[in-house]
Amino acid sequence: MSETKALESMIGEDYKYGFSTDVEYEDFPKGISEDVVRLISAKKNEPEWMTEFRLKAYRAWTEMEEPSWFNATYKKPKFDTLQYYSAPKNKPKLDSLDDVDPNIRETYEKLGIPLDEQKMLSGVAVDAVFDSVSIFTTFKEKLAEAGVIFCSISEAIKNHPELVKKYMGSVVPIRDNFYAALNSAVFSDGSFCYVPKDTICPMELSTYFRINNMNSGQFERTLIIAEENSHVSYLEGCTAPMYDENQLHAAVVELIALDDAEIKYSTIQNWYAGDEDGKGGIYNFVTKRGACRGKNSKISWTQLETGSAVTLKYPSVILQGDNSVGEFFSVAVTSKRQQADTGTKMIHIGKNTKSTIISKGISAGNSNNSYRGEVKISKKAENARNYSQCDSMLIGQTCGAHTFPYIESANPTGKVEHEATTSRVGEDQIFYLQQRGISEDDAISLIVNGFCKEVLKELPMEFAVEANKLLGIKLEGSVG
Amino acid sequence: MAHPERIEPSIMHELATQVSDSRNSLWTDIRDNGLMVLNSSSFPSKKIEEWKFINLKPVSRTDFVHIEDAGTLPAIDIEKYFLPESDRSRLVFINGSYHEKYSSIGGLGKGVTVGNLADYSKDDHVKEYLNKLVNYENDVFSAYNSFMFEDGAFIHLEKEAKAEAPIQILNLYTDSSQAFVANPRMLVVAEEDSDVTIIEDHIGLGENRYMTIPVSEVKVKQRAHIHHVRIQRDSIDAFHFSRPIAYVEKNSEYHSYTITLGGKITRNEPRVIQEAEEVDFTLDGLVLIDGDQVADTHSVMDHRFSFAESHQLHKVVVNGNAHSIFNGKIFVRRDAQKIDSFQENRNLLLSRDGLVNTKPQLEIFADDVLCSHGATIGQLDPEEVFYLQSRGMTEEKAKEVLTYAFALETIENVKVESVHKLLIQEVYRYTKANSNPKVLA
Repeated sequence: MSETKALESMIGEDYKYGFSTDVEYEDFPKGISEDVVRLISAKKNEPEWMTEFRLKAYRAWTEMEEPSWFNATYKKPKFDTLQYYSAPKNKPKLDSLDDVDPNIRETYEKLGIPLDEQKMLSGVAVDAVFDSVSIFTTFKEKLAEAGVIFCSISEAIKNHPELVKKYMGSVVPIRDNFYAALNSAVFSDGSFCYVPKDTICPMELSTYFRINNMNSGQFERTLIIAEENSHVSYLEGCTAPMYDENQLHAAVVELIALDDAEIKYSTIQNWYAGDEDGKGGIYNFVTKRGACRGKNSKISWTQLETGSAVTLKYPSVILQGDNSVGEFFSVAVTSKRQQADTGTKMIHIGKNTKSTIISKGISAGNSNNSYRGEVKISKKAENARNYSQCDSMLIGQTCGAHTFPYIESANPTGKVEHEATTSRVGEDQIFYLQQRGISEDDAISLIVNGFCKEVLKELPMEFAVEANKLLGIKLEGSVG
Repeated sequence: MAHPERIEPSIMHELATQVSDSRNSLWTDIRDNGLMVLNSSSFPSKKIEEWKFINLKPVSRTDFVHIEDAGTLPAIDIEKYFLPESDRSRLVFINGSYHEKYSSIGGLGKGVTVGNLADYSKDDHVKEYLNKLVNYENDVFSAYNSFMFEDGAFIHLEKEAKAEAPIQILNLYTDSSQAFVANPRMLVVAEEDSDVTIIEDHIGLGENRYMTIPVSEVKVKQRAHIHHVRIQRDSIDAFHFSRPIAYVEKNSEYHSYTITLGGKITRNEPRVIQEAEEVDFTLDGLVLIDGDQVADTHSVMDHRFSFAESHQLHKVVVNGNAHSIFNGKIFVRRDAQKIDSFQENRNLLLSRDGLVNTKPQLEIFADDVLCSHGATIGQLDPEEVFYLQSRGMTEEKAKEVLTYAFALETIENVKVESVHKLLIQEVYRYTKANSNPKVLA
């Protein structure tokens, strides 16, 4: 069983983004009330309708109950001691990168996020969110030339209110769920992207989220709109320092694809996962949903989930437009005492809609990894088609893998296929590779990579490299 | 699930309280136990995950009456339901009460005891196992059965005893103008190296409304084999809530086949619980529904020890406004290694207004296992239909043949000849009645 140890130690690799940055913060009261919500809105100089939106959400939230249906146990966040807004103090309006607090810039450099446009070769436009506030967005001008709007959501509320008003809350209504309601009330910042008609976004867009402040929750809001016949690819990355306290991250992401539009959304989630005994780590309670509103539209979610103490996340697609396509590709790796309950929803409404779900779960240590998905073919969804595949891999004898697929079909022309398997990295497979001269670690890495290949190949180039590295770090030296 | 501690008064509880406490019962402790659960449990609602997809309002809105005994049977030909193989190994229950004159229990050979539970209340095995195996958390239905049943089937096989003929447990439900509740009960104890085949048949004689709650407890000891076939042919307006549970010991085999044909609302909760290493079990099902029928199967295959092989094939054909629900749970507990478990759920949705919900569920806590499940919902393959048409069949006939073939797979392993034939006829009757040329339009 030395292999098990090897794999486990590989997974238990230290979290290298666990440092924190010394930044001065603005004072902000802890806890939540209508006044706090008003204060957040005032701090951000928001128009009246936005304040109303927040207050409506807050009132809805106070009437809602915290959900408990998922397959995870954890200490509930204390909503009254949380800080709902956290911004670095030195924050004049930024016109150039030189104005960014050097400490924060250093943070992003340490994380390997290129904010400096000159040094950037990869051609990715980055919106960096530090705690609650968008710090800097790169390549704005170049994107503007193509007509693409890419900015923080606060700027969008000021500069493009008609778009925000029209689309925000239209995919994830404020009453959608407990955490979405909370986010709608207190969201601090996030990214906004609008791709006009017949436009292919000239570069990959990216947001990098960083939680730094110890007692703050992070509530960002992302809104992406792809007009007719447009195309955009969006990347999201997350890290946080190591604290003993659990931090809450409750984001909302809304995607809207109109006729013939395509949105590809990729996430590498590597929040701090807590230590060996399950102390600390991020609660990642995120609502992500896309609406294929137009004909022939397509939304594709790809995620690599390796971090967080508890993850509850179900990136979904509502297939309203005829011939629209939804995709979900996911690799979720859990180790130590992590708990992940993640999956997707594919709601088929339009005719000839198609969806594909490929989910790979790897559990190790004392972790629990659940796939929870829903595929629904509604009555009018003629010729809808779904294919789902959920494979789980267990490493060691103290972890768990769970599969909860909900499948519903109310149309006889629909076709749904679901399959799931659970297995482990076979000793015979490792032995075979070893006798060909491949070291044990490399053999495991090869097998795990092969297991996840279908998903990893969906990641954009920029992420694929990072993803491979991340998987390698997580799984170095552990197999059964 | 907001306030799980709040108890909604259940109709089962109301019904139970109508029965006088002084009623003479052989089963005082079991009765008390049932009442305790009834006192502390709510009637299921859609808010509870396990009951999310099924509407039980038709049940809770029905005024049920107590029925001690159906009395005399109307003049019907009861013999037509007798299996020729079970000529001398048959127990007959009418509305849950034992009827000796129709039963016949002479021909099972040495070491096999078959009879009415009420006649064996002092038997050591009955004392040891009855109501000890049934294990459904906060379940008002099985609790109601425990509170109410008096008669039931008792089957005991001594070590190395082999039943010479299949045992037929015939449950008939009369065509009564009042909606009654029947509580069939069964206890099977198969000692080491024994072997038995049990055919449990539920037949509604009319088209009336009633509720039946069959609870069966099965203990399969080391190296014993049990082949258990359950056929549900209730009246078209009946409610059927069955709770069959089996415990399997080392090197034993338990193979169960449930065929659901009748009933307005059927909720079937078969469970198999592994008690030692090296077992082999099957939990197959076939559901053929039409009209307003709702058939819900919530099964559990609980692997608690290493080296188990288990299979579940659950096939469903839905037509009309019918609604099928399937939730098949496979558990593999910590340290239960080398489990080979396979679950397959195939649904054929033939009509515009039919609905299929399925939730195959794996919960695995051991790493060296091979567990998989597959679920599909779909239509007959147009290419297959076309192929048969090209061979000279009408479209209608082609669809009929394909549906028939689809359903047939699940009953192939039923090894009692007359039952196999009977099921083939039932499948044929269903496909014939449902071969609707407009289906694919």
